Amino acid sequence: MSLTTLHKTFWDNITASSTRTNAILKSLDHMVWLILGLLIVGIFVLIPQVFRNVTSLQIILHGSVALGFLVLAESLCLLSGHFDLSIGSIAGFSAIFTAMAFSGSHWGVISHPVVGVLLILTIGTIIGTLNGLSVAKLGVNPFLQTLAFLIIFRGAMLTLTTSPIYQLPAAYFAIGNTPAIAIGLLIFSYLAFAYILRYTSFGMGVYALGSNEKSARSVGINTDRLVILVYAVSGFLAAIAGLILSGYAQSVSVNTGDGMVFPAFAAAVIGGISLFGGRGKITGALGGVLLLGLVQSALNISGVGASEVQMINGLVLLFAILLYNSKSKLREKVLQGSV
Amino acid sequence: MPANPTPTTTAASEDASQSDLIRFDHISKQFGNIIAVEDISLSVKRGEILALVGDNGAGKSTLMNILAGVYPQTSGELYYDGEPVSFSNPGAARSFGIETIYQDLALMDDLDIATNIHLQQFPKRFSLGPIEMIDWQEANEATREVLEFLNLDLDPGLEVEWLSGGERQLVAIARSILSDPDMIILDEPTSALSVAGTDLVKETMLQLKEDGHTQIIVTHNFEEVLNVADRIAVLYQGELVEIVDPQTVDRESLSNLITTGQRTP
Repeated sequence: MSLTTLHKTFWDNITASSTRTNAILKSLDHMVWLILGLLIVGIFVLIPQVFRNVTSLQIILHGSVALGFLVLAESLCLLSGHFDLSIGSIAGFSAIFTAMAFSGSHWGVISHPVVGVLLILTIGTIIGTLNGLSVAKLGVNPFLQTLAFLIIFRGAMLTLTTSPIYQLPAAYFAIGNTPAIAIGLLIFSYLAFAYILRYTSFGMGVYALGSNEKSARSVGINTDRLVILVYAVSGFLAAIAGLILSGYAQSVSVNTGDGMVFPAFAAAVIGGISLFGGRGKITGALGGVLLLGLVQSALNISGVGASEVQMINGLVLLFAILLYNSKSKLREKVLQGSV
Repeated sequence: MPANPTPTTTAASEDASQSDLIRFDHISKQFGNIIAVEDISLSVKRGEILALVGDNGAGKSTLMNILAGVYPQTSGELYYDGEPVSFSNPGAARSFGIETIYQDLALMDDLDIATNIHLQQFPKRFSLGPIEMIDWQEANEATREVLEFLNLDLDPGLEVEWLSGGERQLVAIARSILSDPDMIILDEPTSALSVAGTDLVKETMLQLKEDGHTQIIVTHNFEEVLNVADRIAVLYQGELVEIVDPQTVDRESLSNLITTGQRTP
């Protein structure tokens, strides 16, 4: 049998079914938009006041910006086959450290808002880099490393101060407090990362790392450097979330960034980012952010109490995990040709 | 140690010649107290397909890894095109035109064929400092060309998880030939394949030979290389015991060479 005939036989056997199954798999990857659509319809019917005007939509989006940056940080880690439990603590610690550097009743060593922005971003990036160094160079398990940093930096916040800090420059707060700036920054960041992940060798390296780290190393990718870079960028994005949270609340406290890591996970997973790396789109993660923002807003408008909201957040996380499991199983079946 | 190493090793040793692309000159490799490869001298001629055959622990993978730059030899000299060389890492070997396709193929199932093929080096549109912007149009075109060369009718955008074993092997080969290397090392290329997949890969090896690529096939199953290899180098317990002609060698004695280090049981 000639080489061409052999290839043709091979390919003919799978081509017919592959188009249909490929379409099923693609639609699974974009499931978030269908869920979001259904949610919007459901809210329109049950709680129409959520969408009463443009301002209410703006409020929902504005309230989701900080979470959006944490989701972006988490998505990057997940895509690379890693994860970061410390993003909430990084956001909170970098915010409180910078606030104390500003505040006259604390250290009062800086006054210019630009210096403050640079400081908060530097702190976040340094903590992220330390996460990366520990995971890549010392071989510490990412779960344990970032869990340790979650606890360390949450504890460090309490050590630094227990009282909220309000007196910070208006221009420093403006980034998180001005809806147009905050929402614009979020959308720009998602578009930039969507582009970077698709069109740069760094982005493809992240996917390769998440898909198969050993293979990525075999083909010559410097996986250690990439892991460090991913965690550094994750810390940087978490610090932006800290900056947004500071401005949004017009204050920084020990609660800044607290309890946000699991919603960030949920949004990323609902958005189609694989828990095991190598698969998913950043734009899908943005869909996850919008979905969680809508749920949060609907709960607030419905007068659901804070403790119930916490419980519902847990249910959303469970939903995300169940959704991921169902997708994985369906994907397996589709690839085996039984669907 | 081979049962009768002296005469066969001497017979197997070769002198360098003008057409040698690679020459292992008295290469040994030790891992602690374990001698994985001992005093191997062997040449690989330009354009030939040489099969490195041996049982588990024969030293064939160690020899391959030395050539691929995975680790250095403990002693001896490695020559590339007549010049002594030393590869400190796989990238260094690659820069000399030596590509290795490992048994696990090092493919990323979640990524498409074009990405898998170009991961080592994407065509760039431009660079912004350390950030390199990928030229996907060129990457896809280059992928189509190399797939066409291998007679593979596949969409560059197809994810690798869709491919059969034979096709996966050919995608790994496609990645290796993208940089037009002088030498391709294939580690157990057909061990996990069906009969059809094995035929597909063998045909491709012969096609690569026609195209001037020198190949080393590392395998424990000599049957798989009898009709593609120009020569078969048999390793036993870290030593080169004999180089045989696959056209004339008796299968039984070759089997004995592999399992006992001797031609006759």
